[in-house]
Amino acid sequence: MDITAVLSASLLLLALGALFSALIGFLSTKFTVERDSRLDEIESLLSGANCGTCGYAGCQAFAEAVYQGKAKVTDCPSTSPNNKRRINEIMGINESVGEKTYAIVHCNGGNACRDKYDYQGYGDCRTAEMLAGGRKKCYTGCIGLATCVDKCPYFAIEVGENGYAEVKRPSCTSCGLCISNCPKSIIGRIRASARVYCACSNHNKGKEVRDVCPKGCIACGVCAKVCPEGAITMVDNLPLFDYDKCTACMLCVEKCPTKVIKEIKD
Amino acid sequence: MEYILIIIGAVLVNNFVLVKFLGICPFLGVSKSTENSLGMGFAVIFVMSLASLITFIIYHAVLVPLDLIYLKTIVFILVIASLVQIVEMAIKKFSPSLYAALGVYLPLITTNCAVLGVALLNVDGGVALPIDNVLKAFINGAASGVGFTVAIVLLSAIRERLARADVPVCFRGFPITLVAASIMAMAFAAFSGMIS
Repeated sequence: MDITAVLSASLLLLALGALFSALIGFLSTKFTVERDSRLDEIESLLSGANCGTCGYAGCQAFAEAVYQGKAKVTDCPSTSPNNKRRINEIMGINESVGEKTYAIVHCNGGNACRDKYDYQGYGDCRTAEMLAGGRKKCYTGCIGLATCVDKCPYFAIEVGENGYAEVKRPSCTSCGLCISNCPKSIIGRIRASARVYCACSNHNKGKEVRDVCPKGCIACGVCAKVCPEGAITMVDNLPLFDYDKCTACMLCVEKCPTKVIKEIKD
Repeated sequence: MEYILIIIGAVLVNNFVLVKFLGICPFLGVSKSTENSLGMGFAVIFVMSLASLITFIIYHAVLVPLDLIYLKTIVFILVIASLVQIVEMAIKKFSPSLYAALGVYLPLITTNCAVLGVALLNVDGGVALPIDNVLKAFINGAASGVGFTVAIVLLSAIRERLARADVPVCFRGFPITLVAASIMAMAFAAFSGMIS
């Protein structure tokens, strides 16, 4: 083997590499464009998920839009309120940023909910939905084929062994990708301070719900009757919570005959 | 006459995208709107002409005398990547409006195989006519960029129409785009043999 050939080749590449890196290094100091440091700060305070829910190409584009006043920081659902407040401080905007929210799945049927047919093979919830509205007999039952899991950029939602999707609170930023991609539209947002929720989305009457799922809300209205604060009203056969009035006494959770009203533990 | 033949050869006969099938990634990725594809096209023209100029000089001034021709691929990649970086910085500094127009596409082209392809073919004699001086290399690079621009602008015009057409579901998006691109490639194949 000719050692000089090896040496000359590596020396040439080394020389070229050194030349170009020196050139780029030199020119980058010469050609620096002054950038407002606030822009970098805003970008570092954003969640960095690049989920696109704000309608911009990514967090960097959104940061520029906020900086130019074209967008409001509240358009971003996934940044935490603390950071939003700090961005507003940086920009000198005095505006409320709203309370922190989480995504929540309004279904606890899963394996308990009866099947219409046996679904085998390729696909996620959206393809299953095309086949006679999904495999579950309940028209709002979680199909459990994990479209939300695939969509979540934070791995904050998963389909457990019960067969329905559940949100993992610490990771969820409420960006809303699971909400917009669920073909059953059973994922929603809930305030972080809310302590109870109804884990069913079926608007049918009790008997019809009972026929398809033993865990669904049968619209008996007991929760609305026992609530000492009057925070629950029955609307279209499902309880509607007024979290401004709720004192988290957990009476509704205790009295619910199907245990579909659940306590939220952090 | 030779220069005209090089231009026709690079734009139509040996079109980089539709005949040599190089640079397919930006061809499909950036052809959604005519405006964007024009921006991409001009960026490619710019980078291709500069790259073929510099790499030709480096090849004949450095690699051939040192008998290191086999290193050309890696050297060219190094040269093109640094070149694009420098050009990007310069544009950012001196013409923010041009940077805003080209900005996204310049880094995209850094490692584009069409740019590397034109540099390699210039020195390999893979072009129909011998490239024996710097001016010819430069013209071939620029004309190849024009060929890329022609192809991508044509495809983007087709895609803008397709966006409004009633395409069967299974063909929507990339499948129909690939079908359109292949028909375009067949049309360009008619030029083959014009310059031998």
